[in-house]
Amino acid sequence: MIKNYIKAAFRTLIKNKAYSFLNIFGLAIGIACASLIFLWVEDEVNFDSVNVKKDQLYICRENEKYDTYVLTHSSTPGVMGPAIKTEIPGVANVCRTSEDQTPLLFSVGDHSVYASGKFAEASIFSMFTLPFVQGNATSAFAELKSVVITESAAKKFFGNDKNVVGRSVRVSNQSDYIVSGVIKDIPSNSSMQFEWIMPFKPYYDRSPWLWKWSNYSLTTYVELKPGVNPESVNKILYNYIQKRVPEALGHTFLFSMNNWHLRNAFDNGKMTGGGRIEYVHLFTLIACIILIIACINFMNLATARSEKRSREVGVRKVLGAGKAALIFQFIGEALFMAFIAAMVAVLIVLLALPAFNLLVQKQLTVGFNNPNHIFGLIGITVACGIIAGSYPSLYLSSFNPIAVLKGIKLKNSGAAFIRKGLVVIQFSVSIVLIICTVIVYQQIQHVKGRQLGFNKNNLIEMNLQGQMAANYDVIKQDLISSGYAQNVALSDHSIIYGGNNTDGMEWTGKPPGSKVLISTRYVTPEFFETSKLTLLEGRNLTVADTGKPIRMVVTKALEKLMGKGSAVGKTMHYHGDTTTAVIVGVVNDYVYGSMYDKPDPVLFFTTKPQNASVMYVRINGHKDIEKTLAAIQVIMKKDNPSYPFDYRFVDDQFNQMFLSEMLISKLSRVFATLAIVISCLGLFGLAAYTAERRTKEIGIRKVLGASVGSVTTLLSKDFLQLVLLSCLIAFPIAYWTMFNWLKTYQYHIKIQWQVFAIAGIAGVLIAFATISFQSIKAALANPVKSLRSE
Amino acid sequence: MIKITDLQKYYRTEEVETIALNKLSIEVKEGEFVAIMGPSGCGKSTLLNILGLLDDPDGGSYLFNSIEVADFNERKRADLRKHNIGFVFQSFNLIDELTVFENVELPLIYTGVPASERVGRVEKVLDKMQIMHRRNHYPQQLSGGQQQRVAVARAVVNNPKLILADEPTGNLDSSNGNEVMELLTDLNEQGTTIIMVTHSEHDARYSHRIIRLLDGQTVMENIMI
Repeated sequence: MIKNYIKAAFRTLIKNKAYSFLNIFGLAIGIACASLIFLWVEDEVNFDSVNVKKDQLYICRENEKYDTYVLTHSSTPGVMGPAIKTEIPGVANVCRTSEDQTPLLFSVGDHSVYASGKFAEASIFSMFTLPFVQGNATSAFAELKSVVITESAAKKFFGNDKNVVGRSVRVSNQSDYIVSGVIKDIPSNSSMQFEWIMPFKPYYDRSPWLWKWSNYSLTTYVELKPGVNPESVNKILYNYIQKRVPEALGHTFLFSMNNWHLRNAFDNGKMTGGGRIEYVHLFTLIACIILIIACINFMNLATARSEKRSREVGVRKVLGAGKAALIFQFIGEALFMAFIAAMVAVLIVLLALPAFNLLVQKQLTVGFNNPNHIFGLIGITVACGIIAGSYPSLYLSSFNPIAVLKGIKLKNSGAAFIRKGLVVIQFSVSIVLIICTVIVYQQIQHVKGRQLGFNKNNLIEMNLQGQMAANYDVIKQDLISSGYAQNVALSDHSIIYGGNNTDGMEWTGKPPGSKVLISTRYVTPEFFETSKLTLLEGRNLTVADTGKPIRMVVTKALEKLMGKGSAVGKTMHYHGDTTTAVIVGVVNDYVYGSMYDKPDPVLFFTTKPQNASVMYVRINGHKDIEKTLAAIQVIMKKDNPSYPFDYRFVDDQFNQMFLSEMLISKLSRVFATLAIVISCLGLFGLAAYTAERRTKEIGIRKVLGASVGSVTTLLSKDFLQLVLLSCLIAFPIAYWTMFNWLKTYQYHIKIQWQVFAIAGIAGVLIAFATISFQSIKAALANPVKSLRSE
Repeated sequence: MIKITDLQKYYRTEEVETIALNKLSIEVKEGEFVAIMGPSGCGKSTLLNILGLLDDPDGGSYLFNSIEVADFNERKRADLRKHNIGFVFQSFNLIDELTVFENVELPLIYTGVPASERVGRVEKVLDKMQIMHRRNHYPQQLSGGQQQRVAVARAVVNNPKLILADEPTGNLDSSNGNEVMELLTDLNEQGTTIIMVTHSEHDARYSHRIIRLLDGQTVMENIMI
């Protein structure tokens, strides 16, 4: 029987090519979109799964309570790790590492390259899954001047040379290190990223500030013994630092690796359960919506052309087919179509994957030998087949055989109602997606266009390497006199990201017990001019301000915090230290860290070049950028010959801060377009069948004098009414969704009514363009021919 | 074989109630060839649909092989139908997407006959209907007469006890019409009971008995000699 059904299905498919194309192509786009999204979701949910001990690994985080909020961060005291390991039962192992990735210059002979990595304790090799391809974990850090590198870093340092263990690399033009191991490249969906790891001890020994319980500058990872409840450890950790430093703000807790990537959002010290997982949910929902839109097409077209199949249903019923057998047949046909669509979808996925990878910045692959992918695809296909075939099979199998064999016109007002309802659902979803896409785009543009308080354009940032600090004055002079740079400055931190902060500043009038987090920046006097921060009151910092009394410049936000009147002349001091610092100037507020938040208060001190870490060059915007970079490179080569010229544009760094939002924007744009395309395919098919059904009516109207325009309007009117109804449904849903999304940002746009108008007009125009082809074709047909066709 | 007593069927709309069968009683014995005649709207087709278990009566009794089937549900009706009754329609009602062979095979599929057995039975009946050479053709590639022969082949392939024919020659020219009537006569001579609805006196003459209906009631019965 199944063979008979497949044969009938295949021949129906061949006989009705246009209908089959619309159904298969629509479903194929839907399945391809869903497959791509699910590949992305798979990568996201498997984040950090490379680690065998994922369920036992934690990072120590701190909750610090300030006057108005609780700050959660991952910086811990340097001495905490060993204490935890010895004192807390249930802790199997601890690993301390430097924070972030440190870029260092590695030289092998004349070949020098930058690579980023961390200083870590040897326990990193037993806690995290880092498979060695050369060397081994036991001997990796036997020597203090050893370095373990990834396979890619090995290639970067040594080219195609194999067996690099035991070879020497010069680090930062200062010391020679021996490569003690090569590990497999770390998958991109891993939180722990580095190109090299070096022993922690030398790093720790040369950083005395790390030895204090009051300094939070290291990352501490903890491995619990199997079966240990982290909450029991957290109870001990809560006041762990306070036992050593009673006034410390940081309350430590363990944060599971299972949540690092997806659920890392904290609000007022509490895990919200949100984070990247919200995007995973959002895109899973979009994948399902697209599949449903594609299935709706199938349902609509199948029921619309039901008259053509009614006789077959009648005959099969007369010959003894029961309702169940017919339902089975039509669901089988839908599954058959879905499987063909799935094959087309695989082809689409393979073709689109490189572009999709570029879009989502991942290296996703389709695994034909990956059971998850195979069964996933089969699952999607079967689900589509069953959903798409469900309603048509119930509808078609309910036909009365006597009526259909006598050719009595089917009363399908119920089916037509459902069909219209499904079209409304499709277009409602499409219009919601259009509105959301526009608003997400507007919000990103709004933030990107935000006045940051400094000028991010034509500003170059370089790490201070080699002789750059010692030769700072010469470099500055050479760059300015070349005409390619307007100014040069040094800072201890990047202007656009966060930096050091303290809650220990005191001043006259500060409420007792008040805790306010203030950022501190050490800069050279040229910093304000170079970054284009504006001096509002007082004077700029000078080189002499490094001496006592300490002079400083504050931002407007800090001035407000200190009370009424000008801050110039007011003094501050660190808690427990009587040395006072005098405020000599006030600059405007500027945004750093999160581009969505309000500007936080900042204190600027003068720094000596050797204590700075980054150099800023304000380039001359009127000169050709390539020539400018070439000229700077020549100067840097002359004044800092041992290091390659390595730079980044601050506006690029700024753009990097919107990667998640840009991803959402791009994906929503792509999937909104595809949802509309799929909806239009269905609408196109429906319009064709409507025109066919009304052939006689059109003929009679034309004979009676109807114009092409009036016939086109007649045929288009019903569909356009449905699209208008879709607008009414879509508008409140889109408004509510976007209102709640925007609420998560402090700095956001107001939703404009024009967006809804544009989306509505776009929906109507797209629908009209889709159906007008069929309507005009029907209206232009010869009435004699159309009447004869009855 | 068939005994209907006081059979009633109404068609209702919001405003009008039409009586299609008005307490109709008929008996058909096994091996009989009965023609049902009457003007349009007299209830011929309604009667045939009820006899074929395609429709429910609103009242009365219908005994098929001494079993009361008037109150059978959809599943039971389909089961009885596919094992016992063959249909021949005026407009052939072949499935366009299936070949001649596959159309004839269809009733065997629904009765669960194994594939190996189906081939032999379909070929035998196609041979008997002299359309074996058209077995791989599609309905639209055949003449009207050939299509009706395929429809007859499909109706008899399951060896039904009863064939219900609804104006089987209505869409055929006289030559093809006679051929179809000869086929039905042959089947009847081999023991199959046939009930045929027709407007054609010529075709009715092939039967043993003509039942004439008017307004849902029997008005006359003619025994053919």
